[in-house]
Amino acid sequence: MDDYLIGVLSNIGVISFVALSSYLLLLTGEISFGQQAFFAIGAYAAGIATALWGWPLSLALCGGAAAGAAAALLIAMPTLRLHGLYFSIATLACAEMIRILFELFRYQIVVDGALVGPNGSDGFREIRYVFENDIGAFEFMLVIYAMLAATLACFAALERSRLGVALRMIGSDDVLAASHGVAVAHCKIMAAGVAGAIAGIGGGLYAHMTTYIEPRIFDIMLGVHSLAYGLIGGLGTALGPVLGVVLDVGVLESIRWLAGYRMIVFGGLVALLLIVRPRGLFDETTVYRLNRIWRSTIAPKRENR
Amino acid sequence: MVDFAQNTIDGVMIGASYGLLALGFTLIFGVMRRLNLSYGPVIMFGAYLGTLLHVQLGFGAVAVAVACVLGAALAGIYVERLCFAPMRPGAAIASMVSSFAIWMQLEQAVVLLLPRHTYPFPPLLGSGTSLELGPLVLRLDYAVMLVAALILMLAVHVLLYRSRFGLAIRSIIENPMAAGLVGVHVRAATLGAFALASAAGGFAGFLVLAVDQQITPMFGMWATFKGLIAMMIGGLGSVGGAVLGGLVLGIVEVHSQWHFGPQARDLIVFVLLFVCLVLRPGGMLGQAPERGLAMLRDRV
Repeated sequence: MDDYLIGVLSNIGVISFVALSSYLLLLTGEISFGQQAFFAIGAYAAGIATALWGWPLSLALCGGAAAGAAAALLIAMPTLRLHGLYFSIATLACAEMIRILFELFRYQIVVDGALVGPNGSDGFREIRYVFENDIGAFEFMLVIYAMLAATLACFAALERSRLGVALRMIGSDDVLAASHGVAVAHCKIMAAGVAGAIAGIGGGLYAHMTTYIEPRIFDIMLGVHSLAYGLIGGLGTALGPVLGVVLDVGVLESIRWLAGYRMIVFGGLVALLLIVRPRGLFDETTVYRLNRIWRSTIAPKRENR
Repeated sequence: MVDFAQNTIDGVMIGASYGLLALGFTLIFGVMRRLNLSYGPVIMFGAYLGTLLHVQLGFGAVAVAVACVLGAALAGIYVERLCFAPMRPGAAIASMVSSFAIWMQLEQAVVLLLPRHTYPFPPLLGSGTSLELGPLVLRLDYAVMLVAALILMLAVHVLLYRSRFGLAIRSIIENPMAAGLVGVHVRAATLGAFALASAAGGFAGFLVLAVDQQITPMFGMWATFKGLIAMMIGGLGSVGGAVLGGLVLGIVEVHSQWHFGPQARDLIVFVLLFVCLVLRPGGMLGQAPERGLAMLRDRV
């Protein structure tokens, strides 16, 4: 594989984490403009852990996930009773607050004779764990995809569980869900925490992939894009957001001749797609139908053999 | 004390343009019950058309203002036709994401139209001169902006409360189905409200840019943000709330920049927004969202 392809694929894998994070909240019916903040927190936490404190990568990623989850829980409490646009704007305000705090955040110590650490708006350079441990770009891409596969497996398990049903129920009508005995507040806070953790893992991977992060990367554009990915790919399955990322980052960035018109073409296509399929390519109905076809035609034949 | 008074005066003047931005935003939200993220980029599209006239053909402020308003209205109609009109009821998220896609589209369109990062924008009447009132300094172009913003607000108010068209819009804001039943042409009036809001936004954009005397492709995002924040602070769907929210935003911004610098200014604004939302979700003048009632109405 050439370096360019590895770069694009790694990018797709990392961005998928933010998209999945937004997707989890979309399942509960809430539109968050703020998942990029937990991505940022994960990136900074994991970067600090390896570059400044000399932690191993696995532990640092866990730390990033924990930091993302903690921040998400902290924000979920006061925003719990907000709905719809109010919730979206509150998460937006939080995310921008966190981004500006990172612009002001300075924490540098001397490691091996050089000053490393986050330096406000100049960013956080030299997150060199991957180089120092001789992990190639291809190997790191495999790490990213292994984590992504694990996350998707968790989503698949969630969709089959009572909890998954409860989340979708809250998403379609939370009053009805509550009257059927679903603990709405618990589920929502838990979903927010898990979404924060997912974004945090993605952030940790991102920081180690690029070796350089700065607050500007984690602006509102990333948040809205990650929301859009779920809606493009479809809200029926966790593969939807990943498909959305593949379509945007993968397909469009590779078509070079579109360069100057990329957004004009892509924006128009997304707008048209959403008219025809307001809940994305693989929406709930499509996924249900595909499942039924799978069960009635393909799965039994295999058993008969 | 003098600083305080000076900052407050500056804040009110900047806040007036924020209020105007929020006014258009709140009108669209009131009519559609959906968030139009491409509101700012629509304004920017109009402003770039104006800049094109200014840079290429040397047109003056008045022609540029007309181009801003017309361009924004046109782009607004495009957004309404593509992102809002064809959507099924209940597809609010799809509309929002779709309007974001059009944001990206408009942003690229203006870069293709005028590829440099910054372009000059024609100044307002009386730029560079200021009026001295004792120890206080009053920038004349700020004053012109304030007066123009107030006139436009008044015009929108009169249109909304004293005309048949305004009555139709207000009835749609209250209840679209009932409005349709009593003979309001909901789709046409919605499109009209959209065009009106975008035009008002276009004029607000012209005022802000004329004071800054330059335009960059970041302006679309800036306008969406300021309008959104002012609208949320003031109260969703209320004209008075939008104006008040804009003024509060302007005053808080100027004061916090004076005391703590630009980064802290943005931080303080977002803290204020968050606290407002958590403590009083309906905004200062808006009513708190009556969730139960609204949901019942949706189901019936």
